[in-house]
Amino acid sequence: MSKTTAPVCPSHLSNVVCALNSPTSHAACCYVNHTVSFFFFVCASRRQDEEGHVRGHHRTVAAFGCPLQRSPPGRPVLLGCRSPEKETFTCRWEPGDDGGLPTAHRLYYQRERLEGTHECPDYRSAGSNSCFFDKSHTSIWVDYYLTVVASNSLGNATSDIFKVDVMEIVKPDAPQHVTLTAEDRTDSPSLHVSWEHPPNVDAGSGWVTPEYRVRAGRRRQAGDAADWKEYKAGAQTHFTLYGVHPGAAFAVQVRCRLDHGSWSSWSDASYAEIPERIGRDGPFWTSLWGLSGFLFLAAVCVAVTKRKSVMQFLLPPVPGPKIRGLDFQLVKSARPEDFAGALLIRRDFPPAAARKDGAIEPLIVSDVDAGVQPRSGAVSAGFGWDNRQKNNGGERNATREDGDGRSSTRGGDADFETRAALESDYSRVKDVTADNIFLLDSADVPRAERLPEDRGEAANGKTLSFRKESVPSERRKKLPPARPPRAARVIDGGYVDAIPTSPLGETA
Amino acid sequence: LGRCCGSCSLMYMVAVCSGVPIGDLLERAAQHSDKLYSLSTTLTHDLDSHFPPMGRMIMPRPSACHTSSLQTPGDKEQALQVSESELLSLARSLLQAWADPLVVLSSSANTLPHPAQSKIINKIHELQEHSKNLGDGLNIISGKMDPTAQTISSLPYRGGNDVGQDKLSKLIKFQFLLSCFRRDSHKIDSFLKVLRCRAAKTQPHLC
Repeated sequence: MSKTTAPVCPSHLSNVVCALNSPTSHAACCYVNHTVSFFFFVCASRRQDEEGHVRGHHRTVAAFGCPLQRSPPGRPVLLGCRSPEKETFTCRWEPGDDGGLPTAHRLYYQRERLEGTHECPDYRSAGSNSCFFDKSHTSIWVDYYLTVVASNSLGNATSDIFKVDVMEIVKPDAPQHVTLTAEDRTDSPSLHVSWEHPPNVDAGSGWVTPEYRVRAGRRRQAGDAADWKEYKAGAQTHFTLYGVHPGAAFAVQVRCRLDHGSWSSWSDASYAEIPERIGRDGPFWTSLWGLSGFLFLAAVCVAVTKRKSVMQFLLPPVPGPKIRGLDFQLVKSARPEDFAGALLIRRDFPPAAARKDGAIEPLIVSDVDAGVQPRSGAVSAGFGWDNRQKNNGGERNATREDGDGRSSTRGGDADFETRAALESDYSRVKDVTADNIFLLDSADVPRAERLPEDRGEAANGKTLSFRKESVPSERRKKLPPARPPRAARVIDGGYVDAIPTSPLGETA
Repeated sequence: LGRCCGSCSLMYMVAVCSGVPIGDLLERAAQHSDKLYSLSTTLTHDLDSHFPPMGRMIMPRPSACHTSSLQTPGDKEQALQVSESELLSLARSLLQAWADPLVVLSSSANTLPHPAQSKIINKIHELQEHSKNLGDGLNIISGKMDPTAQTISSLPYRGGNDVGQDKLSKLIKFQFLLSCFRRDSHKIDSFLKVLRCRAAKTQPHLC
């Protein structure tokens, strides 16, 4: 039986110090005079048989410059601390270069409201390069000032000071015992998730306030999950997922945080499959669907063949527009020239025949002040006059206002002489550039069905304009008399809010 | 459970004798304190995002906070041994101590040289609002408890009406005040949540 012993450096080298690189290898670094180092790889060792005779011997396989220069250690770096339940905490560090020598690391701390410098109470419980502060050594709402010192036979190295308050480093473990229950209700299948708080968290005293989040993803064949959707679960330890499809497979994870601290890692995934729906595809349901489909088709056919009466029933005809003083049918069949004449001022306006008809209601509308505006954009509101006409004396008052905004009307028969006098003041608006303006030259009056504004003969020769200021007009231009539109006939019973009156009015 | 037998019966009595269960009042108060702590945490992070590194070096120590003289429990065991009235008194004292400094923070935020200034201004206004609501709620709750809950320790703020003149000292003092406030708001929040759970002996759904 061979026994491996530690290698011994060749004795002819003086001032040699040997150190094992690692307990499992047979290598050793030897240093001579603290400056030169040789690396010996020993592949054999001394053996002793039962009689105690030495059988083997050290054999140097390779010797070359030692790659590890001996030096004081490098500075360690404190990586961070974590408290899983606001009662204990653990800090970890990263060692620096060890300088080729065995290096020890020690953590020292000072604390607010505590005298002196203290050493880490527990280097082991949390693993290597860590320091665990148990309950008796943990205080909250006080600052800890931590440093790690690395030391070997050649020197020390101190890390930077790391300041930490337990309040800021709270990060719990993942919640445990996540269980899924598929609830198969016929109207809406759902997945019920329940879990427990992380193992070391005290959830009953109020010292910590847990908050949970759930995420669920569709599970794919490969075993992993995609399309994660996250849900807030508040402080409760259960959650229900609705709207899950039968036959779908889900993976669910839960995580937790305390007091608005850092989130824990996600718990291990739990899997569940929603059972398929039953009873929906039986023969009874199939025949029922088929019958209703047939009935539906039959109803559609009937509706199509009798669509006229169906339409009559569903959508009764809407009464057409009626404008007092105007017969729409006649207007429709009138010719453009008739309209052109209707819009122009006529010398013989109003014709005697019209006056005798009681339905005529002459109206004079004038824009006396700037404040008077034509009512709504509808031309049906009445006629307006160019401002300059005011200079002609005699004011044509805007008599627009009455209860429902209709232009009021003067008495049926205005003074003929007045009309004649006024006539001379009429001017034809040649062109108009502002909104709601209607009047154009006789030549280019479009055939418009909406001509109810000119009602009957009264409208002959009238100009329409609303924005007086912008209306250029030719003054005192007499137009050739135009035929009254034969199409227009006074019809009673207005449907629209239009004033079928003559524009003539009285003087103020 | 056995540790707070005396106080447990006090809570029970209060809940039985008053109109609104004290557990509900504490629940409402805990929501406000939760929001206070959450806001103060995000505020310190907002400020930290553009903080000159040198400023961190010369930041005053937390012992310089104007509330540091108040003795408060330092861990869970100590906190669970404090009576309800004492816990409430501590919470009220801490909250009261921040009434003036929050005004200073609010007025200084208008000239704070920081890119997230408008966000900070809004959050400080929220802080003041929640702080006021919480204070009113705690006043009501303390009225339902024994006289110890009524005592408020005076912790005057002597830091002046502004946070300094030059840019660096403004930022430093602002961040320092916020860090003090964050710690105190966490204390208030933790104490109220412990109180809430104690009251839950009569209303188990709270814990």
